Amino acid sequence: MSIDMTEITDSEQFDEVRLIDAGSNPTRFARGWHCLGRSKDFRDGKPHTIKVFGTKVVIWADTKGKLNVLDAYCRHMGGDLSKGEIKGDEISCPFHDWRWGGDGKCKDVPYAQRVPLRARTAAWETMEVNGLLFVWNDPQGNPPPADVTIPEIPGFGTDEWSDWSWNTFLVEGSNCREIVDNVVDMAHFFYVHYQMPQYFKNIFEGHIAAQHMRSTGRDDIHTGVQLDMPDSETISDAAYYGPSFMLDTVYTVAGDTTVETKLVNCHYPISQDSFVLMFGTSVHTIDGVTQEQANAMADMFTEGVETQFKQDVEIWKHKTRIENPLLTAEDGPVYQLRRWYEQFFVDVEDITEDMVARFEFEVDTTKALETWKVEVAENVAKGMVPEQDPTKAKA
Amino acid sequence: MKQIDCQQCGTAVLVEKFSIPHTSVQWVSDAATSCPRFAEATADARDSVCGTTALSCSSLSQSIDDAVREGRLPIKSRVEPVIGDALVADAL
Repeated sequence: MSIDMTEITDSEQFDEVRLIDAGSNPTRFARGWHCLGRSKDFRDGKPHTIKVFGTKVVIWADTKGKLNVLDAYCRHMGGDLSKGEIKGDEISCPFHDWRWGGDGKCKDVPYAQRVPLRARTAAWETMEVNGLLFVWNDPQGNPPPADVTIPEIPGFGTDEWSDWSWNTFLVEGSNCREIVDNVVDMAHFFYVHYQMPQYFKNIFEGHIAAQHMRSTGRDDIHTGVQLDMPDSETISDAAYYGPSFMLDTVYTVAGDTTVETKLVNCHYPISQDSFVLMFGTSVHTIDGVTQEQANAMADMFTEGVETQFKQDVEIWKHKTRIENPLLTAEDGPVYQLRRWYEQFFVDVEDITEDMVARFEFEVDTTKALETWKVEVAENVAKGMVPEQDPTKAKA
Repeated sequence: MKQIDCQQCGTAVLVEKFSIPHTSVQWVSDAATSCPRFAEATADARDSVCGTTALSCSSLSQSIDDAVREGRLPIKSRVEPVIGDALVADAL
């Protein structure tokens, strides 16, 4: 990466063309807890498979209900374990019935006197929190530190919260850093997500990167995120816990009514240029709101979020990777976010103080709001509604 | 970035302002132990939404506002990227 330290002032004129440094994708996958989806979706008595971390894994529940994640390719002759059967606590290979335990060890080869030496495959430590399955990925093979975890949502799994309304997107041709960059991107919330950020602040500390935002909807474009509550205000406190899992507490406030929603925005890498993006919504059931109504609200919110993510995907599909973004004073702290993100791609002993030290950045939204209010008012006056569905957008 | 000492506890942080509403604060010490307010709140905050990133210190904000008013902290245009040694050199 080339770094230009030249002091730039408003009065100076630069004739030189600014070049994009596209850099290159990382050579390893991030250390940290990665959510693979809702645990209940893996608990139907069958083995499941997903592509992740440059390989394919098998996921199954043992007799105690514990979910296990192993590399899907049998170390014997390369059979695909996810096409096999669950036998007791083990997964059996469809090719020669080799039995593999959740700890990654081969427990039995029924046709052989004994299991060969070194009959051990790659296993990922699993964890279930808030009805979601997580795996710990660490290229160095260390166990997860106790203080690096995913916070529990109090009361989750009871009547207090609706079930996760869950969605999955496959994103191809992009490295997953693209979605992480959005944490600091104040202005894209207007252009891509049809929201008007009134207040926007990022705080990074340790393995957590937070985004505190207060926003309103746009009068010219309504989305499900506003929950059909006119003139609603959205109070969103979101944080990435590690490299890939964001939990967002959203309060939608309209008059005397406040709806609390938990929004999950997470991803796992398939390869360095493709990833699976997942998001889930759960609505807090309040007095006078039945579980059914909460589920309906969660679905509406999810639909709104789905539209928003589709817009992101459309951007990523066509954009370039960029190491040297050109920023205005009203942009968020992209470089500092990436410095924070870097901690997950180096060995733990190589994490430097600047990657994890607390950093705070409040974006000035004054000029943005002035401009956007005019733009929205003009759209409303013209009766014009900008194109919302990216699949229908004209080329 | 300019060094600003909190008028309450003396903790030094690096601060940058691109405008009056904008503020950027780089901590150079462990926030959870160097700031007494954070130290007090950290244990509880770990389990709360957004963990310690939900905390803020009004004394530090006040110290920054005072520094701007007294001309000790100039409002500058943005220079990117500012990293590592250059960031610290600029503060001194």
